[in-house]
Amino acid sequence: MRPWVAAILYAVLGAITFVVCFPLLWAISTSLKPKDEIFRWPPTLWPEHVTLDAYRELLFGGSVASAPGAGVPPSAYFLTWFGNSIIVSVGSTIISITVATLAAYSLTRFRFWGQRSVPYIAILGYMVPSVIFVFPMFLTMVSLELTDTLFSLILGYVCITLPFCLWLMWAFFRGVPIEIEEAALVDGATRLQVFRQIVLPVALPGIIAASIFSLIVSWNDYLFGRVFMNSMENLPLTVGVMHFFDGTHVDWALMMASSVLMTLPMAILFGFMQRHLVAGFGAGAVKG
Amino acid sequence: MKLRLSDRQVGVLFMLPLILAVGIFLVWPIAEAVRLSFVRYNPLRPDDQPFVGLDNYLFVLEDPLFWESFWQAIVWTGWSTVLQAVIGVGLALLLHQPLKGMNAFRGLLLFPYIVPTVVIALNWRWLFNSEIGIVNHLLLSAGIIDDKIAWLSTPNMAMASAIMLNVWKYTPFVVIVVLARLQTIPTELYDAAKVDGAGVLRRFRDITLPQLAEVLAVVIVFRTIWTFNKFEEIYLLTRGGPGTSTYNLALYAFDQSIANLRMGVGAAAGVIMLLLLLAGSMLYIRVSGFGREDKAA
Repeated sequence: MRPWVAAILYAVLGAITFVVCFPLLWAISTSLKPKDEIFRWPPTLWPEHVTLDAYRELLFGGSVASAPGAGVPPSAYFLTWFGNSIIVSVGSTIISITVATLAAYSLTRFRFWGQRSVPYIAILGYMVPSVIFVFPMFLTMVSLELTDTLFSLILGYVCITLPFCLWLMWAFFRGVPIEIEEAALVDGATRLQVFRQIVLPVALPGIIAASIFSLIVSWNDYLFGRVFMNSMENLPLTVGVMHFFDGTHVDWALMMASSVLMTLPMAILFGFMQRHLVAGFGAGAVKG
Repeated sequence: MKLRLSDRQVGVLFMLPLILAVGIFLVWPIAEAVRLSFVRYNPLRPDDQPFVGLDNYLFVLEDPLFWESFWQAIVWTGWSTVLQAVIGVGLALLLHQPLKGMNAFRGLLLFPYIVPTVVIALNWRWLFNSEIGIVNHLLLSAGIIDDKIAWLSTPNMAMASAIMLNVWKYTPFVVIVVLARLQTIPTELYDAAKVDGAGVLRRFRDITLPQLAEVLAVVIVFRTIWTFNKFEEIYLLTRGGPGTSTYNLALYAFDQSIANLRMGVGAAAGVIMLLLLLAGSMLYIRVSGFGREDKAA
């Protein structure tokens, strides 16, 4: 490639990258501004006085336990919500991945009746929007008296993560050569030994990729949390931070600081997953 | 413990959790949604669920808001999908160039896909704030506009903002799928075309586009179906407003179920969405050849 072509490409890429990243850069900038600077017109691009007040309020604003009562500002719940989101994302991911891995292995190694319909079921589950699942699931949770519990949210998220986990693991196992397993079986190993000692280690990259997708989808969901949960201390992060809007005055520094903190875990996961990303999407196994 | 299970038993055993899960998490909710769509259900009086036949469907189909939501959903889906496809292919071609440091650009440009919708909606409300938002400031100082634009409080601009949000978040999906496909096009095709004297544009038209056609069709069907049914992106940005100018069917169903306490009507709207979606899936199966043994997955 000629150098001037490369230079133009870099310039174009740089400009596009800046535009794409701008909303998040702006969020970071805003989160570091003192309150009076936020409402200044014209806005300053970078804070004149950098302050960590917003982050301090979210992270050390006092735990809920130490300040009970009606006067608790929503920001005091931030760490609780953060913990809730971690619990429900990890919980639903463990369920979805376990179910999907076992089934995908079975689907690619054995023959049985109805096998060919499974991919169709997966794609159907994959396309049905959460807004159709959420109310029947909610009414079921009501009759089981499970509403407003983290467990109900874990079950709700299995709805939206299982189909693509199944699809991803299924695509993955199709690509794993069967010969090593057959050799081990001929040598007298049992199926379960083969699964534990040969298949699982080989499947690990697929399991990691599917887990990360599943974590992202559950972490980012809003609808299930909005419908299933009531108490402030049980909300997931996505539903919780919307409470910062209640009231007449909007604290944008607080909003943007929580945006940054909410995105951070996903950004870290994203760093790990980048090389899995193209492979995963290539298999068509992502919800959007 | 030494278990010896036959292959057949292992196969069935491994499938059991999935069968159970599909029953609980897919079949049951959908069946329940269909049942709800035929009863009158006020969640405040859960024990009283009279069967009302097709009343809920008639209510929905005679409700002007339903049709308004329907047409707005088409506008929202059409613009979002077209923009995502065009920008997505362009970006994928750029990112496919053999340049140093491309991985960093790829990472940064794919990043929006994993940002929580809540975060994007909050950022958008702040960026497009009509009084002190940075977007108005930049447009004003660049001389592109003379007055501040009320992005989120005028119907057309609210729709445009929502579409921009959607394009920002989901174009990476198109980029990744197209990029993965680009990497499998044999370079010999391009070398041969170069020898024949074909320029950049001809090579794009005669090699790249035909090679991408199939995967693009699949992506567009997928994006259309998902975008049409999106809830959070719109709800969190505009709540369907101003007025009802950014409602789509998902917001309509949500609103009937939650705000109006008409779960049956909401479910009927959901079932209508489901039927539209089934039609869309048929299209997908057609387009992709999904299910044919050689192409499945």
